[in-house]
Amino acid sequence: MDNLCKLGWLASEILLKDSFKKDNYRAQDIGLILSNANSSLDTDQKYMESVNDIPRSSLFVYTLPNIVTGEICIRNNFKGEDAFFLFDYFNAAFIENYVNNLLDNNVLQACICGWIELVGDEYKAVLFLVEKLKSKDAVAFTKEQMNKIFED
Amino acid sequence: MDPEVFIAGVGIITAIGNDVAECLCSFEKGLAGMADIAYIDTKHRHNIPVAEVKLSNNELAKIACISSAISRTTLLGLIAAKQALKDADIANLSSLRTGIISANTVGGMDKSEFFFKDFVANNSKGKLRNVFDHECGCVTEAIADQLGIKDFMTTISTACSSSANAIIYGARLIKNDLLDVVIAGGTDALTKFTLNGFNTLMILDKEYCKPFDENRQGLNMGEGAGYVVMVSSKVTKKMKKALYCNLSGYNNSNDAFHQTASSPDGTGSYLAMKGALEKSGLKPMDIDYINLHGTGTSNNDNTEGTAIKRLFDPDYPPMSSTKSFTGHTLGASGGIEAVFSVLAIRHGIIYPNLRFETQMHEFSFAPEKKILKDQTINHVMSNSFGFGGNCTSLIFSRI
Repeated sequence: MDNLCKLGWLASEILLKDSFKKDNYRAQDIGLILSNANSSLDTDQKYMESVNDIPRSSLFVYTLPNIVTGEICIRNNFKGEDAFFLFDYFNAAFIENYVNNLLDNNVLQACICGWIELVGDEYKAVLFLVEKLKSKDAVAFTKEQMNKIFED
Repeated sequence: MDPEVFIAGVGIITAIGNDVAECLCSFEKGLAGMADIAYIDTKHRHNIPVAEVKLSNNELAKIACISSAISRTTLLGLIAAKQALKDADIANLSSLRTGIISANTVGGMDKSEFFFKDFVANNSKGKLRNVFDHECGCVTEAIADQLGIKDFMTTISTACSSSANAIIYGARLIKNDLLDVVIAGGTDALTKFTLNGFNTLMILDKEYCKPFDENRQGLNMGEGAGYVVMVSSKVTKKMKKALYCNLSGYNNSNDAFHQTASSPDGTGSYLAMKGALEKSGLKPMDIDYINLHGTGTSNNDNTEGTAIKRLFDPDYPPMSSTKSFTGHTLGASGGIEAVFSVLAIRHGIIYPNLRFETQMHEFSFAPEKKILKDQTINHVMSNSFGFGGNCTSLIFSRI
């Protein structure tokens, strides 16, 4: 697993470890909408370095940003819609709009969304679990709340 | 009721033709686009066949009316997107809310690779102006600029299902009344990065690929671009030209099995096809043609076939992989194959699956070997499955 996937994997483990009741949902009703600014650049560079010697398939498979969504899906058996978007900055308004649309139209019943960014030693992951029923400690799913949590 | 989304125009450039008419002509004649590598500079020339668009960057730039200094990915995308908009022929487009959702996986990497060679040898060498459009979003921005699209633009990168997902997203923007017109699809040029990468995965056929054949040996890489112009029902009322069809169903599901391989029971592809059928309100027996993902790899064709068996057995519609003509165009394939699906409805044709000889022992069905004409085709399913388990099915329906 490359570093971007490890980061996403760990962040999703922390997000889901306490209160998330996966069994309340069908696998195809849980999805992921993720974003970052630099796609899979960290591994793209490592793969390009390997091309000078022997191109390594173990690196090539991680040269796509949506492999991290795949890894989280594999880990948790999530089979719902997933996508990976690239923005210069954390675009909470876009995420709010996109995820609300998926939930309102019953494409998904629960969605993990947010930001997973890693280049070299610098990284940041902020994930949100969005569900239709309010659980204890939950806050409303708005761009303002997401931006506040993202900046904290 | 869910608002309808209509297909008003199509545009395409692939190894089998630089526009719709040329592609249809190649299907008719059974001419594949694969050949010895002629344009991309790589040591794999003469060893691995690929399906290149048969034009140099200078020739592409002339057609696109733009500088040849930009990425080949952008050149291809611009040519196909321009065709699609011209084909749709929407009067007073500037008064409508118009967006572009374009997918690609390589961005301007073709230019970066060219830059890289000199730069690595001597870091004072290499021209930075050759790498300004490296990232995927730059490709979409350049196309949007040239088309004068200002209301909305974004880029999707989910591997080989990218441009099918662009079409889903575009449809949602129309259904939610956020846009009136969306140009959606994708573009990808051949690069050393992807050619070497797929080669390390050992899934490239050294001969011309044979999708869904018992003795298939892998895929051939291709390049190109394909876009559809989608419009809301409000827009259709003012249009003079006949619409092609509508996008009646779609679904994206995750296989949740492996980074690059698909699951033996084809869960992701099964859920995508089933979900698209449910969305459209159709039954499996309503589908008149499946444009397969059909890469020609052992893994894909087996799992896609298994998923089709689960959903369609015992009555299978005609099916074929047009990748036997165009090669696998990665991020562009969903857009290119959406265009072929739309044209199948318009012209009543089912494309042949070239070089198919031996039925896979796992299945009781086989793809079409010969072109079928004068067919009544009401509903076409188009499959696009990508790395990361990202599986998408689209359904286009006659109106």
